[in-house]
Amino acid sequence: MSTLAFLLNQSVNALSQAALLFFLGVGLTLIFGIMRIINFAHGALYMLGAFVGYSLVRWTGSFWVALAFAPVVVGLVGWAFELSILRRLYRRDAHAFLMVTFGLALVVTEAVRLIWGPDALQVPAPKLLSGVIFLLGEPFPVYRLFLAVSGIVVAFAIWQLLERTRLGLLIRATSQNAEMVHALGVDVGLVRSCVFGIGCGLAALGGVLAAPLVTASHSMAATVIIDAFVIVIIGGMGSFLGSLIGALLIAFVQVFGNYYLPDFALAFMYLVMLLVLVVRPGGLLGKEA
Amino acid sequence: MADAGARQADSAVERASAQPLIAVSGLTKRYGALIAVDNVDMQVSSGEIRAVIGPNGAGKTTLFHLITGVVKPTVGSVRFAGEDITGLPAHAICQRGLSRTFQLTSLFPEMTARENVRLAAQARNPRRWMPFGGDSVFADAQNAGDSALELLGLEHVAGRPAGLLSHGDQRLLEVAMAMAQDPKVLLLDEPTQGLSVEETAQAVDTLSRFLESSRVTALLVEHDMEVVFRLAHKITVLHRGAVIADGPPEAVKADAGVQQAYLGGID
Amino acid sequence: MRWSTVLGLAVLALLIAAPLGLPAFAMTLLTELVILGLFAMSLDLMVGYTRLISFGHVAAYGLGAYASGFMLLNSSMPLPFVVILAALMTGIVAIGVGWVCTLATGVSFSMLTLAFAQLLYAIAFKWTSVTGGSDGLAGIPRRAGPMGITLLTTKTGFYYFALACLVGSFLLCRKLVASPFGAVLRGIRENEAKTLALGYNTRLYKIAVVAIAYAFGGLAGALYAPFAGFANTELLFWLLSGQVLIMVIVGGSGTLIGPILGAAFFLLLEHQLSSYTEAWALFFGLVFIGFILFAPEGIWGLATGWFKRGDAAAKAKGSLHG
Repeated sequence: MSTLAFLLNQSVNALSQAALLFFLGVGLTLIFGIMRIINFAHGALYMLGAFVGYSLVRWTGSFWVALAFAPVVVGLVGWAFELSILRRLYRRDAHAFLMVTFGLALVVTEAVRLIWGPDALQVPAPKLLSGVIFLLGEPFPVYRLFLAVSGIVVAFAIWQLLERTRLGLLIRATSQNAEMVHALGVDVGLVRSCVFGIGCGLAALGGVLAAPLVTASHSMAATVIIDAFVIVIIGGMGSFLGSLIGALLIAFVQVFGNYYLPDFALAFMYLVMLLVLVVRPGGLLGKEA
Repeated sequence: MADAGARQADSAVERASAQPLIAVSGLTKRYGALIAVDNVDMQVSSGEIRAVIGPNGAGKTTLFHLITGVVKPTVGSVRFAGEDITGLPAHAICQRGLSRTFQLTSLFPEMTARENVRLAAQARNPRRWMPFGGDSVFADAQNAGDSALELLGLEHVAGRPAGLLSHGDQRLLEVAMAMAQDPKVLLLDEPTQGLSVEETAQAVDTLSRFLESSRVTALLVEHDMEVVFRLAHKITVLHRGAVIADGPPEAVKADAGVQQAYLGGID
Repeated sequence: MRWSTVLGLAVLALLIAAPLGLPAFAMTLLTELVILGLFAMSLDLMVGYTRLISFGHVAAYGLGAYASGFMLLNSSMPLPFVVILAALMTGIVAIGVGWVCTLATGVSFSMLTLAFAQLLYAIAFKWTSVTGGSDGLAGIPRRAGPMGITLLTTKTGFYYFALACLVGSFLLCRKLVASPFGAVLRGIRENEAKTLALGYNTRLYKIAVVAIAYAFGGLAGALYAPFAGFANTELLFWLLSGQVLIMVIVGGSGTLIGPILGAAFFLLLEHQLSSYTEAWALFFGLVFIGFILFAPEGIWGLATGWFKRGDAAAKAKGSLHG
């Protein structure tokens, strides 16, 4: 394989990986921006998305249906959780939040194990997206290209949501000054529930899209939450653009790191996280002091 | 006022012979384009009570943070008892004998007042590291703590959780905690902040009595001018991070620049 | 508090007498409770006394288990020696872990502890020559004690050894939290900024408590390996970190006793409910969330609060004349 083709191949890999990481990270960072908490259950919800996607594909035979509805289902689960449980904790300290979302992660992980069994499950990619296309004489998996494109499309969509719509305005305003927004007569609680639901839905979207690639498995929850956290830390807690940059950075580091030093992938992530936390605790573009 | 005058005369003699206990030189702190503290020079002698005043945002608390190591200066130095302490971490500076209170009350709310001062005093006990002999460390620290409580007139609330004390008592408890450390210099950041008129009067009485009897060197950030004139030997006036006046209360009161920037304005 | 000392001694007496009356399967359960209780208590030092929330305490357990398992399989050192050594090794590794994790605070600290545990999990899978990979180490013997004391090879003997470790650790931890060092931990828990301003190098204290907590956690793991006869990657799976955190919170954090009760509660539920439903772990997670919302002081906290109110009421009655 020529160098150019190699680089292109790995870059497509990295972009597709970045897309998945972005779906994870953007939800987490939006939730942090509004609620000033890290949703520890994010990884578990990503995993839930993959498994729900699996079932939807089995029932309807259509990957596209799964892609459309799994995020909605999981988003509703998240919304219900915020409404019933997280709301009660706003006056408590940050540790209570952390532990409750951790509890949610455990409950979701156990629920998945109960409902779908302990084995990893194969989710087939739709015929349209399987196979390869040839660029520069080298084969590229269509699915990865699809992922990369989805990442761009969704990033654009979220950007437009934040900049152009009323909801987006409310989200941005609430993350800067919730009290002011409340004083202006807006139901801040509703905004929070929506953002939590959307964030969870985005995580699930990542899970469904990841499933054909990595299988729906139980270890997803813990590994993925660390990835998501690292992205949010690097890009900055609460920054949409930051989560995009973070996802790209981590994806490229992971893909190229995996190629050259495959056994050290996790250690590498750990090191990157450490470095960022030490050098810039607020992340590159973050809101945290 | 006669009190302050007599004290001033005494310490003037002291000051003439001793080197400054705290010597701040060219101290500057920049946050990007914002200059919080601008090239401040200041000397505080042993036994002196120096008030640092200025309008909101003048950089008084930042100056305290710079001296106590909470914030690192952009330029400049801080010398304490002849030693350069610039850039040392906060806990190391405290160990050298500078104890401070905070603008927003910072205590251990679930511990009793006695436990609060004990923990403060314990920090200066060289044997606090030892795995055994904890009881004697506690005893020594409690003694120092209880004396500090007495000094600040807080014996009657000694057994109460700090979070349940009145705001005025909490402010005094913070001062007691600082005093329990037997400091060479006491830094008080707005000790009468948030107190009612009555509480302020009581607090000032207590502070005045204890400052006089203990002869401790003190740096005081205050907004309330009556408090300042009652307690301070010398005043340093900050405006937009820079020193605009520095001297005994009468001189500062008369200074036209100060009047314009601060005393004559809305405060 | 005198009633609690009496209660404690009574419970201890029961625990010592247990092998005389209980059937074999109950003794196995009891031994597992002792080990798990030690594991949970060790986490309380971090979570309850210093408010350092760790999501990776399983790292201590796994390290201790693999260390003791490896040494028992590959050397002829007597069991008590191996167990203590494994615990010390875990504590020493934890100094490094603590040093790294305390570079951050709050959520970031918790994430770093999780990351380290995940790292260990990955290493356990890959380093097959030492850890046996996904199969783990099997056939770990319950070796005799020094001077050929064969007591420890029996189930009862081992139970007493584990119990001694638990009681010994409890007494040491209790001394620690009542010492000046413990007072500083409490300060860090309530107001770290102020503790720092008072002149304490809070980071060193945090590193120390992480090392100590991991050492005791490692002790528990080191006991588990010969107890179960194996050590594998299940001992490093993050769910176990979650379960031990639940034991601490549900049992009552910041009390040392509470987490042991939490471990008992957990084991009881596991053995009672698992015959009815596979969903006991899920139930446990829901109980956890419930406790955080409605009873953050945990079972032991509720019990002592109830007793204190009884005391206060009695005192109030008696002091009407005072």
